Amino acid sequence: MISEMNFFERIIYILQSYGMSYLAGAGTTLAIAIVATIIGCLIGFAAGVVQTIPLNLDRDSKVKVFLIKAVQTFLHMYVELFRGTPMIVQAVFIYYGLAQIWGIQLGMWQAAFLVVSVNTGAYMAESVRGGIISVDPGQMEGAKSIGMNHVQSMMNVILPQAFRNILPQIGNNLIINIKDTSVLSVISIVDLFFVHKSVSGALYTYFESASIVMLIYLTMTVSVSRLLRLFEKYLDGSDNYELANHMDIGNQMNKKRL
Amino acid sequence: MTPILELSHLEKSFGNHVILRDINFKVNAKDVISVIGASGSGKSTMLRCINLLEIPSGGEILFHGNPILDRKNDIPDYRTKVGMVFQNFNLFSNMSVLENCMVGQIKVLKRSKEEAKIKAMHFLEKVEMEPFINAKPRQLSGGQKQRVAIARALSMEPELLLFDEPTSALDPLMVGEVLSVMKTLAREGLTMIVVTHEMSFARDVSNYVVYMDDGYIIEEGSPDKLFNNPNQEKTKKFLATILS
Repeated sequence: MISEMNFFERIIYILQSYGMSYLAGAGTTLAIAIVATIIGCLIGFAAGVVQTIPLNLDRDSKVKVFLIKAVQTFLHMYVELFRGTPMIVQAVFIYYGLAQIWGIQLGMWQAAFLVVSVNTGAYMAESVRGGIISVDPGQMEGAKSIGMNHVQSMMNVILPQAFRNILPQIGNNLIINIKDTSVLSVISIVDLFFVHKSVSGALYTYFESASIVMLIYLTMTVSVSRLLRLFEKYLDGSDNYELANHMDIGNQMNKKRL
Repeated sequence: MTPILELSHLEKSFGNHVILRDINFKVNAKDVISVIGASGSGKSTMLRCINLLEIPSGGEILFHGNPILDRKNDIPDYRTKVGMVFQNFNLFSNMSVLENCMVGQIKVLKRSKEEAKIKAMHFLEKVEMEPFINAKPRQLSGGQKQRVAIARALSMEPELLLFDEPTSALDPLMVGEVLSVMKTLAREGLTMIVVTHEMSFARDVSNYVVYMDDGYIIEEGSPDKLFNNPNQEKTKKFLATILS
């Protein structure tokens, strides 16, 4: 009977039968993408910060220099490995490979979050490093000049500015993750793409189901990019500022006299 | 009495390029020292060496007699006592004017928020920037930024304040407002080293002037001696060019 329907009737039929499955799949996709992007950002910030630790060969102890160099080398390899291989292969490698070689059987959810987070982290590490480098060196000198050490300067001055600068990159990664979680269907994660494959397999309605799925992906990515724009605006604050009025200043003065 | 700061045989080179050669001088409490000379003569590098933004290649810097180039010396702690005002202000662009003047007090000196705010307001008033406490640096003019930068440095209550060409990035109208703040500070007894191209400031405000050329201190002394009675040919030539 579905073969007698036109395109729109089929879409309505699919939605009536499988609408909730699509929504659940979209939920899974969004959950993995958001959580993995957040974890990936944390990894990326940690890696980016370590990569930009200044080394002073004259003042720093040999042990400290060696340790930092070792960690930096490790991070470099991590970035190259996960940026340089497809996520779909990483998913298979981690989910099946770890079990076969080391007997570590990750659940498919653990594997999914792990793969996407670690992947995002590798990309973010480079973005954060770039974000840190792009902050005017004068900001670091200003921080040093009032006695801040490296950690204080990073936390209070450099990273907040780097974060603002790489926010579009974070948005990029989130959108990429929303789309790329589709490869996780190779380890049987029932995300939006998996639902599409199941439905189109059952009803032979590839084009119709793909249209629905396209629309859902697009809705998610456009909403996310709009929300991030709003967040950027919020972070930038208002273009205007209020002059402190003389009452406030007067109160300040009174407090001082007390 | 030991001087606050003493440079002896200070040297700095970047690779084979020698910037500072055998720099010696002393800073006593309440001194206002102007460092003058052509661009590229090493003035700014010397100032940056004093604050350890550049690490000297040789020689000694003594702060109250203590060698600060010693590896065990706590550089951040030293910098709280020797403040710096930059040519390009270097205000923290992610913070408001008030936060700029508070963050060092809170994070480095561990003052309470209330105390930090009162101190910050006090110094912002001194530079007449207290109405602008809610503004972000990008919303201010150059002269306003520099006055906030001075307030930020003062909020740490340093023993010595270094000025690295504080008016060089400003248009002529704004130069005046910054110089007048600096004059007030000098009159109130703040110890300062000022690298400057403002000859009127060097002559009228400072009590000691250092003339540098090609990494050497060529001549130094009271403003009267240096401006009206220089010994060295190079000094005469420089003054003739710049004052003409």
